[in-house]
Amino acid sequence: MNKFMEVLENFLMPVADRLNNNRYLTALRDGFMVALPIIIFGSIFVVIANLPFLDALIGEDAYKEYQRVLGPASAGTLSIMATFVIVGIGYKLTEQYGGEAIYGGVTALAAFLILTPQVVDDVTGVISTESLGSKGMFVGIFTAFISAELYRYFVGKDLTIKMPSGVPGAVSRSFSALLPITFTLTIFLGIRILFLYTPFETVQNFIYTVVQAPLTALSSGLPATIVAVLMIQIFWFFGLHGQIIVNSVMDPIWYSLANENLDAFKAGEQLPHIVNKQFIDSFIVGMGGSGMTLAVIIGIFLIGKSRQLKELGKLGAPAGIFNVNEPIIFGLPIIMNPIVFIPWMLAPVIVTIITYGAMATGIVPPPTGVIVPWTTPTILNGAIATNSWQGGVLQAFNIGVVFLVWWPFLQVLDKRYYESEEEEETSGEIRQSS
Amino acid sequence: MKRILLACSAGMSTSLLVTKMQEAAQTKGVECEIWAVAQDRAMKDMEKADVLLIGPQMRFMKRKFEKTAGEVGIPVDIIDPMAYGRVDGEAVLSKALDLIG
Repeated sequence: MNKFMEVLENFLMPVADRLNNNRYLTALRDGFMVALPIIIFGSIFVVIANLPFLDALIGEDAYKEYQRVLGPASAGTLSIMATFVIVGIGYKLTEQYGGEAIYGGVTALAAFLILTPQVVDDVTGVISTESLGSKGMFVGIFTAFISAELYRYFVGKDLTIKMPSGVPGAVSRSFSALLPITFTLTIFLGIRILFLYTPFETVQNFIYTVVQAPLTALSSGLPATIVAVLMIQIFWFFGLHGQIIVNSVMDPIWYSLANENLDAFKAGEQLPHIVNKQFIDSFIVGMGGSGMTLAVIIGIFLIGKSRQLKELGKLGAPAGIFNVNEPIIFGLPIIMNPIVFIPWMLAPVIVTIITYGAMATGIVPPPTGVIVPWTTPTILNGAIATNSWQGGVLQAFNIGVVFLVWWPFLQVLDKRYYESEEEEETSGEIRQSS
Repeated sequence: MKRILLACSAGMSTSLLVTKMQEAAQTKGVECEIWAVAQDRAMKDMEKADVLLIGPQMRFMKRKFEKTAGEVGIPVDIIDPMAYGRVDGEAVLSKALDLIG
């Protein structure tokens, strides 16, 4: 067992290191972080605009008007989410290269807009929010990467317009970004023109058909989700932040899936995906943290006899309510602890299957795509994420399931701690009396 | 005045430690400024700190932090997992003070 653990740790550390220190994945993650406050603002107003039962309370017409006036809050943020992510990625990647980050950000946005179709139903001069939102996400990410690279390349070539010596420094510096941006954007215009003569007509169509749609279809399925969940758990078992490592790869897909659901939700249509950002954040992580340790805390309070566990329960509970669970992970400990390996790996998979099944059969509606901050307490976050009370009930049920999976293992652990505490006490007494 | 910077993924779990470390510092009578940030913020905040301690779950970031820390000239280390789990402010504080020297 020890040999096996060593091999695995030696394999996982470099993977974590590579994923986390990969320039593009870091920029991607940090870029999403830039967009997050805006995404959450929009999500809050989607929740407020779609409060359950409100239509029955104030009447159909008043409800429609209520939704109409609140609409711009999400239309101006969530529906065009890709734009914020693009600026974020362009900014963060350029920052990593030590360039003028803000130019990297806006150049990425401009490059993306150059690629974006600007005709909707024969009306020119309009951009569909569809291509700025979920459907534009992948094009946007690639565009931001490429434009930031091009911008850096041209800046490195030291292309500056030489000003006469009498010109103030501030003026000549403002020209320093001009040529690199011009060259970068010209290349994107070229790309757009090239695609115009292919059957896809736009880059957006091409990426959506060839990359985004197949990838998201695959990732929204149950098998891929179980693999992702298992990866999170195994990283954490070795004390590495599994969530942040797996998210750096999966977030673009999970966010796209969430946004497609959101578009359908706002249009009153059937939600296309079961798995999305909130499936993971609310139903897998949002039950006390990675590994659903809220159930473990409850277990400690119910069956814990040892002092060590009881102390840990008191320490971990307040943070656990807000889904911060490092005290439990490192204090129980869960890390490298063979006794808890089985429940740690098994419980999230069972919960994933139950949650998926409940949503696939329609017992519980899938997450609407609103982004609920991961620190939102459990049951509440499930209800908000699905805009239904069923979401909260499902979480409560799942906590019970996790508790049952953990129960025998927690008892073994508790017994061990209890016995060693007893031993210590008696040996202490003997020493005192002698 | 010792300035101790803690970093984890979102600055959440390390912020639990901050409170406990401040309590420990008060008992010891050490004047300390202790704060916790998310990992991306840590790169910038290092300039203002005397030492950087990383949550054990982010230990794969050490190499990246060390580069910048070397430039700023401050020590970097990983918080002991057990002390982290027990939110043992005193242990982490004395480690930080040791590192500052």
